[in-house]
Amino acid sequence: MRIYTGFIGAVAVAIALVPVFGSNYTKTFVLQALMSCALAASWNLISGFTGYVSFGHSAFFGIGAYATGIAIVRGGLPAPLAIIVAGISSATAGLLFGYPALRLRGPYFAVGMLGVAEAIRVGVTVAEPLTGGGKGLVLVPEDVLTVSYYAMFAVAIATVLVTYRVATLPVGLRLLAIREDEVAAELNGIQTTRLKIGAFAISALFAGLAGGIYAWQMSYIDPGTVFAGSLTVRAIAMTMLGGQGTVFGPVIGSVVLSGISEALWARFPFLHTALSGVLIIAIVLFLPGGITQILQDRGWLPRSRRL
Amino acid sequence: MVTLVQVVVSGLLLGGVYALLAGGLTLIFGVMRVINLAHGEFLMLGAYASFFLFARLGLNPILSLFLSLPLMFGVGWIAQRVLISRVVRAPLLTSLLLTYGVSLALTGGAQATFTNDFRSVPFLSGALNIGELAFSVPRLVACVTALVLTGAAQFFLSRTRWGKALRATAQSADVALACGIDIDRARMIAFGIATALAGAAGTLTSFLYTVYPEMGKTFMLKAFAVIVLGGMGSFPGAFLGALVLGVIESTASYVTTTQIAEAVIYITLLAMLLLRPQGFFGVKEA
Amino acid sequence: MNTRTRRSILAGAPAAFGLAGLILSACGGDAGESAAPAAPSTGGAAKGAPVKIGASVSTTGSNGKTGQYQVEAYQLWAEQINARGGLLGRPVEMVILDDQSDPTVGTKLYEKLINEDKVDLVLGPYSSGVTQAVSTVTEKYKYPMLSAGASASDIWKRNYKYVFGVYSVAESYFYGVIDLAKKNGLKTIAIINEDTVFPKATAAGTAEYARKEGFRIVFQEQYPTKVTDLSSLITKLKAAKPEVLVGGSYQPDSVLITRQAKELDLNVKMLAFSVGAAMPEFGEGLGKDADFIFGPSMWEPSLKTKGNSEFEASYKKKWNRDPDYHSATGFAGGQILEAAVLKAKSLDREKIREALSTLETDTVLPGKYKVDDTGTQLSHIPVVIQWQGKDKPVIGPDAMATAKPKFPMPEWKGR
Repeated sequence: MRIYTGFIGAVAVAIALVPVFGSNYTKTFVLQALMSCALAASWNLISGFTGYVSFGHSAFFGIGAYATGIAIVRGGLPAPLAIIVAGISSATAGLLFGYPALRLRGPYFAVGMLGVAEAIRVGVTVAEPLTGGGKGLVLVPEDVLTVSYYAMFAVAIATVLVTYRVATLPVGLRLLAIREDEVAAELNGIQTTRLKIGAFAISALFAGLAGGIYAWQMSYIDPGTVFAGSLTVRAIAMTMLGGQGTVFGPVIGSVVLSGISEALWARFPFLHTALSGVLIIAIVLFLPGGITQILQDRGWLPRSRRL
Repeated sequence: MVTLVQVVVSGLLLGGVYALLAGGLTLIFGVMRVINLAHGEFLMLGAYASFFLFARLGLNPILSLFLSLPLMFGVGWIAQRVLISRVVRAPLLTSLLLTYGVSLALTGGAQATFTNDFRSVPFLSGALNIGELAFSVPRLVACVTALVLTGAAQFFLSRTRWGKALRATAQSADVALACGIDIDRARMIAFGIATALAGAAGTLTSFLYTVYPEMGKTFMLKAFAVIVLGGMGSFPGAFLGALVLGVIESTASYVTTTQIAEAVIYITLLAMLLLRPQGFFGVKEA
Repeated sequence: MNTRTRRSILAGAPAAFGLAGLILSACGGDAGESAAPAAPSTGGAAKGAPVKIGASVSTTGSNGKTGQYQVEAYQLWAEQINARGGLLGRPVEMVILDDQSDPTVGTKLYEKLINEDKVDLVLGPYSSGVTQAVSTVTEKYKYPMLSAGASASDIWKRNYKYVFGVYSVAESYFYGVIDLAKKNGLKTIAIINEDTVFPKATAAGTAEYARKEGFRIVFQEQYPTKVTDLSSLITKLKAAKPEVLVGGSYQPDSVLITRQAKELDLNVKMLAFSVGAAMPEFGEGLGKDADFIFGPSMWEPSLKTKGNSEFEASYKKKWNRDPDYHSATGFAGGQILEAAVLKAKSLDREKIREALSTLETDTVLPGKYKVDDTGTQLSHIPVVIQWQGKDKPVIGPDAMATAKPKFPMPEWKGR
């Protein structure tokens, strides 16, 4: 266990030092990995813990990205404020959509969230005067690679920290109870609706913050990219690979999957899609509990909610 | 007035093709409780099969169905046997991710094998004019073919022994097993039929639209909307849902714009989920 | 091997690969392979340390098919320049990566090309979306970039100093078609377009020009990407009775619109599409239905521009297929870069930037290369082609025409 936490700590320190020692390419690559980590961890907060599999996580990322974009371009706000706006917008959206959506179960919720993400994407495309429509939105380009890097790092850490708190406090157990058997949880006096919506809103908050920082750093967003289904799927695959419902699962998953994707794609440019598919199949068939579970099965890690 | 009729008819014709695709998707969900995210890729495979049979053997798409239907059935059978069967009773996330992996693998495989070139089958074109209405000839043919195939599938499900076995498995796998039904085989048949239908939908799209590796994704979103409307698991529901969606899409595009119509489709999906999650004919889950 | 052991290995394997991948990518190492083999340097005349020229072009993803033409052109150019003695006597080495038609990936790749692979120069990617995102990176590092695969004017509206256009901006694509329509006395026009960067630009530019030339825009609507059905839109369009229909579209939608126009019996006197129509596959896919359709083209094989017939012949020989205009613009990008380097007499990027802003030169493309002070291309002249049977001859501007335009487009039922 010590080795495990030590390892995670070392990775964190390494990431913090990348801008000092690494090239811009490494910074960009790690920044994108951190973004994936934030997305995976925020997805984990709702879906890993409560079992409500959301297939529309990219909706909140996209809302955050556009909120920041619009705040900067149309509202003239400075970037830090714009990113806060992103967080507020996506959290609000989380509350707004969470309330009706979380009444649906299982596959209906999954498909419903997919519909929400698509509807929002189309909505953003159609609201051209505000969002630039299909042309995308061009922000004032600034060289903010290092600052945004640390900002994304902060968001990723915050998401993981919140997950840690949630996991170790009784509220985490209650969320897990919802996953195991919602009816029984309700019968036991757990306020499932409030908890679900709360988790959903927090999950949306972090996804939105990640989206806001992304928009700021890329200085160009378009609906197709920020609402892409692949963002959601990557978050899911990473969380699953690392271990859903755990604290560090999404972190491990995002590190590993980012690395593999990069390596795969560098070596096999024409086959990497197919290989990613095969990889995901392999993960699902052979590692359903994720790496965390394997380590726990082997006794290398204790079965603790702290992880 | 005439134009409104024209628009509704176009929508119905459009819906026919959606029905084929959605029918299979809902069948898989009904019998196995699996949401097959790779379904659109089976459509894509069917489309390529139709293209190559046309290009190499000169077979027109409707005739080539006689070859591609059994072929796709076989593909589905094998897929179920080898992969999907492992996640049939698993949590939703597992089957979603697995089928997503399959979808990626198939798309990537298609890109590598067929390249990203746009293909199309110049099979039929033009209009059939009845009075002031113009009916698209290829769409008419596609819709009729879709109706025939859907009808055949529905007949199979309702009147044959194996069809009943499938429906029994959908209702309750354990009880079906207890009644002596070979549920594994039932599932393979279901997946085979669903894949064959998806492949047929692909054949139809090969002469209606352009064929390229990622073509499945656009249709899948519509298919989801259809099965939610019709009721996830209900085959007749998917048929009705498809027609309704086609008409909604067509009418909304006419009354507003094509872009807004897209939003209308998703809003309809969401509204359905909120107001009547079981769709038209779905059974309210206990 | 029992389940537990197998599972542990399986757990360890991805982690190990992941870490290995991370480390490899971070160190650059071999991860920078070209998506296609780099051009071999031929001839003994080019000596010394190679000049590395980097680019990321979409060879997979939604733009993969078109991007492939551009990659082939870049590599052909590199091969030819090496045969001629290289750039300033040094062999050229192309480092071409695949951005998967994704702007995010593109920016990452140009960071990599500039920082890890340490390329001396860059060439542009394919598609306005990717180019827009990528140009922020090249501007940051002050690498002059020729946009050989994109032309939406927004790219040059940001006060960047290091991006240069190779061919006409999207807005001007249909000017030739509008001129022809006006010459034939037509008055009403309908404009439809896909809602993405490039088609929107063509539609906006066309609308403005048409209005200026006295046309009445009777119908204008956008449609979503990857649209599957436009029958309602066409039904509405039909009711507006336009004489000219212009589509800001890519190949799939161009084909769809043509088919559905025939199915719904929509008849216009002139029909034109921006990207789809000029590609050979348009005619192959539609057969007779493509007849009479116009399209702007940035380049055609029949043109008598500098080095064109050699370009066409050598391209066909190397790649076993005909070049299309994306190949030509890619090749022209290389030609312009070469001219700029020769003018600057050095590989210093500031001098090359200087050279590119003042250079005037000929390429395989019609017109000339010349930019204004924002880097927007001024002197390239798009031509208009029309499908006539199995051919698509150039029918305008008059100086470059090889055939006369066939006008008007007959009704569908009559053919």
